[in-house]
Amino acid sequence: MRVDVRALGACNRLAERGAGQAAGALTDLTGTDLSVEVTGASVASGEDLAEAFAGRESIGVSVGLRGGLEGEAVLAFDADNVDALLSLLPGGASMGRSAVTEVGNIALGGFLDGWANYLGKAIDMTPPRYFEADGAAVLPDGALAGDGVFLFESRLDATTTDLDFSIYMLPDSGEFRDLVVGKTAPAAAPGADGGAGNDGVDTTAVPYESLATFASLAKRGSANAADNIAMMTGLDTSVDVSRLRFVPLADVPAEVGVEPHAGTVFELQGEPSGYLAILFEEESAARIAASMLPSEPDEPLGGMAENALCELGNVMTSGFIDGWANVLGTSITHSPPEFVHDIGSATISPLIAKLSQRQDYGFVIDAAIRTEGVQTRCDVYALPDERELTRALDRLSES
Amino acid sequence: MSHPPSSRERTLSRDGSGAADAGRIKVGVSDLSVATGGETLTTSGLGSCVAVALVDRSTGVRGLLHAMLPNGTETDTGIERPGKYVDTGIETLIAELEAAGASPDRLEARVAGGAEMLDLTDAVGPRNVARAEQCLDAAGIPVVERAVGDGVGRTVRFRADGRLVVRAADGFERTL
Repeated sequence: MRVDVRALGACNRLAERGAGQAAGALTDLTGTDLSVEVTGASVASGEDLAEAFAGRESIGVSVGLRGGLEGEAVLAFDADNVDALLSLLPGGASMGRSAVTEVGNIALGGFLDGWANYLGKAIDMTPPRYFEADGAAVLPDGALAGDGVFLFESRLDATTTDLDFSIYMLPDSGEFRDLVVGKTAPAAAPGADGGAGNDGVDTTAVPYESLATFASLAKRGSANAADNIAMMTGLDTSVDVSRLRFVPLADVPAEVGVEPHAGTVFELQGEPSGYLAILFEEESAARIAASMLPSEPDEPLGGMAENALCELGNVMTSGFIDGWANVLGTSITHSPPEFVHDIGSATISPLIAKLSQRQDYGFVIDAAIRTEGVQTRCDVYALPDERELTRALDRLSES
Repeated sequence: MSHPPSSRERTLSRDGSGAADAGRIKVGVSDLSVATGGETLTTSGLGSCVAVALVDRSTGVRGLLHAMLPNGTETDTGIERPGKYVDTGIETLIAELEAAGASPDRLEARVAGGAEMLDLTDAVGPRNVARAEQCLDAAGIPVVERAVGDGVGRTVRFRADGRLVVRAADGFERTL
């Protein structure tokens, strides 16, 4: 099975519109303004999912699908988020179950309407089934056995709180599979097959299996980076989250947020080229820098801290790209670090702008790396060139 | 196949809650939005991106664009979001403002952002600003105030009175 990256873009757009409908429904229910900040699609193998969901509790609704799409679609809130959701509702906790069911039903309805329009075929939904699930039990039946599922995740922004929800669908359900492999979406991206940067007809189709490989590669890169931090600082370092997502590039700055961040950015050369940004929230940056310096610096994020963060960025980036280059069998190098310290989204927007000259959607690898002892956490955003990544993945599947 | 601009879906605060507590309309990256009531249009985390705020003072109709790149013609991705580019974004914003009752002849502009954040990314910020000035000039719209350039990120709020509040990363705030 080959996944067409452009078609995935179209799928993501539908998910975004569905999320918009969900936000609208919640706005009506709660009287609180909600807007969709980010919608991303990710591809995860059964194994990764089981691991990612361990210890997590979810609540939500599932519906059966017939007609244009067959199978099951699930909308889930993290149980940790449910209090935030309920606090927005006029009836509070007593409204919980019915409110979740209603919101889930409306959101899934909106989500699937978009797909039905796109496919030109009606999709019938069974009545919503409310559930509370532990771990990976939240996923549609069969998700852990097959190639994995597509996750469409959206973050809603309310004035007072952030809400996340996820929609899961299985790629194995016939029509959906045709859609993501590009069979039913020849016009997914107007102009996609024209222009100077076009390097062949098939450049946007990726074997599904290699996407899953790449997702685990993301994990390898993050683990390497964490090991390098541990070696450099002597601090126990672990990777909290690491995954590969497919998102509209324009949404990435909002994801980084408006809090001040400090860190380093790198340009990558080779296959794939692209950018890598390592961003710490200000206090985290100051703490990790101080832990690397022989004495307390005069300024928390002055010249000495800047040098320390650049050095740290260097070893992390080397760790990341070594992991990729090994698996992809390519050679990737990186530029010297460039120190950034500003509003988070402003630090990453020039990278997004550069990449956006060639693509509207991108694969983003995000990893959260945490050190013990010194309370610090950073987010790594790896932004590879879509066409070059596709080529590398394609070669991988042939060898 | 056409897609409505994403701003339509994001501007949930427009659904008839009235002007008194009109709330805010968030404008994302590569996005644009129009306000006809008392709403505050906001956009955050402008680095190399540029924000163009247009107002027709006699009708109070305002619009805000958050564009990422100077020229729609420089792309090979197709123009899926007109707000992604300064040129197509300004053109679309003027058309949407006109549709909402503004007169293009009465529009005035405030421009913010376009910082030179990184050496890695060959001056995309200053090019965004230059393109904005050029397009506004060609449309006959005067730029009355600007807070552009330097190496600093900015967040803006476009108030109902047509003034643009620009807040820099260090907390310094200016009203244009």
